[in-house]
Amino acid sequence: MELNTEFMRETFITAAKAIPVTLELTIITMVVSSILGFALALKRIGKKKNRAISFYISFVRGTPIVLQILFFYSLLPTLLNYILNVVLGLDVKVFDIDPIIYAFVVFILNTTAILTEVFRSSLSAIGFGQMEAALSVGMTTSQALRRIIIPQSLVSALPNICNTTVNTLKSTSLAYMMTVQDVMAVAKKEAAFGYNYIEAYLVVLLWYIILCTIVQLIFREVERVVAAYKSGHKVKRFNRLWRPDHVGIKKHTQVVWK
Amino acid sequence: MLELKNIHKSFGNNKILKGVDLSVNKGDIIVILGPSGSGKTTLLRSINFLDRADEGTIDFGEIHTSLSKASKNEVYKIRKKTGFVFQNYNLFANKTALENVTEGLIVAHGYSKEEAEKKGLEALRKVGLEDRADYYPSQLSGGQQQRVGIARAIAPEPEVVLFDEPTSALDPELVGEVLNVMKDLAKSGMTMIVVTHEMSFAESVANEVIFMDQGVVVEKGSPREIFSHPKDARTVQFLRRILRDDFEYAI
Repeated sequence: MELNTEFMRETFITAAKAIPVTLELTIITMVVSSILGFALALKRIGKKKNRAISFYISFVRGTPIVLQILFFYSLLPTLLNYILNVVLGLDVKVFDIDPIIYAFVVFILNTTAILTEVFRSSLSAIGFGQMEAALSVGMTTSQALRRIIIPQSLVSALPNICNTTVNTLKSTSLAYMMTVQDVMAVAKKEAAFGYNYIEAYLVVLLWYIILCTIVQLIFREVERVVAAYKSGHKVKRFNRLWRPDHVGIKKHTQVVWK
Repeated sequence: MLELKNIHKSFGNNKILKGVDLSVNKGDIIVILGPSGSGKTTLLRSINFLDRADEGTIDFGEIHTSLSKASKNEVYKIRKKTGFVFQNYNLFANKTALENVTEGLIVAHGYSKEEAEKKGLEALRKVGLEDRADYYPSQLSGGQQQRVGIARAIAPEPEVVLFDEPTSALDPELVGEVLNVMKDLAKSGMTMIVVTHEMSFAESVANEVIFMDQGVVVEKGSPREIFSHPKDARTVQFLRRILRDDFEYAI
């Protein structure tokens, strides 16, 4: 058995062209889900228990994402078709909608549930004592949340957000089931011509390792900077990447010549 | 200046306060003593509405209201007239020492950033930590953190500062620095209500000592009356236990 390296090199470049699709799926999913997840988490730490949110989270956590994809990919077009065309009598070509829209819906539904729990745990991890201290100096509850609790909870949520981002990035490889042309789908298509599946999968594997490593490096750097207050010594911002502090000194310090 | 009447508070079936009265004049240093579970901390927290009392009234300057039904506005007003020092410091972990002090000044008291920093540094100077202004709580020792906690409480110039066992979480060798700051504050004429087990502080600084047990005030009077001539058997027993412990620590 011999690997077709020529094919691998070509596929590596062909697959690279599909990376924007994979990144688009990941980034938009993460941004939208973070906002929704945070809002739900705030609701969830409130005194009133919301059954609907609990049910939704149990549903997502209790079902495989493959099943969610197949379920929604079958359900959504039919449902939309029924609502828009049969009930409302509009003439919308539901089955012409770009499948990436369905992919967004599934991934956002999935990731939001996970991030809700991530944010909930990080919000409750910041001791109630700091909330009381903020109240005791005269802040309102929402001021205390905004200025003291939430900034810290976001920092403590970072490792888990990184985890979720990497997981989402990897889950987007399932978008090929919805005919979305991401890295996985493109590589599979290439493989099908000459039956070079092993080579194609190796290329996909390599791409995901590269992407996931970059994501982790970015998060590590961000965490190092924003969690400086925890580490017990002042961290120069981005001192390994660039040095704004040094630039600042040059800009503001006047050198006096004798 | 501050008058609390008939405070009742229960947590579930557990009655913590059973009709406590407290009267504070300007410049008073009131020390509240008592065994754990006697309701001292709950009493202090009720004044600041960190715990909502079930019953009772508060007269504080121009504010006269019921502790259980005070409006949000009244609660904020009273909180701004009081400072609170916590047993576990409860500093804002993501803020430097100076920011811990200025945060309330800017957000709740409406000072500009410059004014707040000036006031904040002044408060830090009073607790001897001006040179630690840019340190985060994680970089400070327990005693230093508690002194920042005190600076945060006194910076808005409250009419009364409430201390909830401010030295109980500290290593024995760090207790002194916090007590010294509190003594200085007392000398400067600050009105203080202190829940503590530091008998020497109560004896030398307080002008009134209140002994509480099981949700009621058992006895109150000058430190000399309480320590030298306690009337109630419970006070006698408590003092004997505490003072003997002190003696044992001294060995």
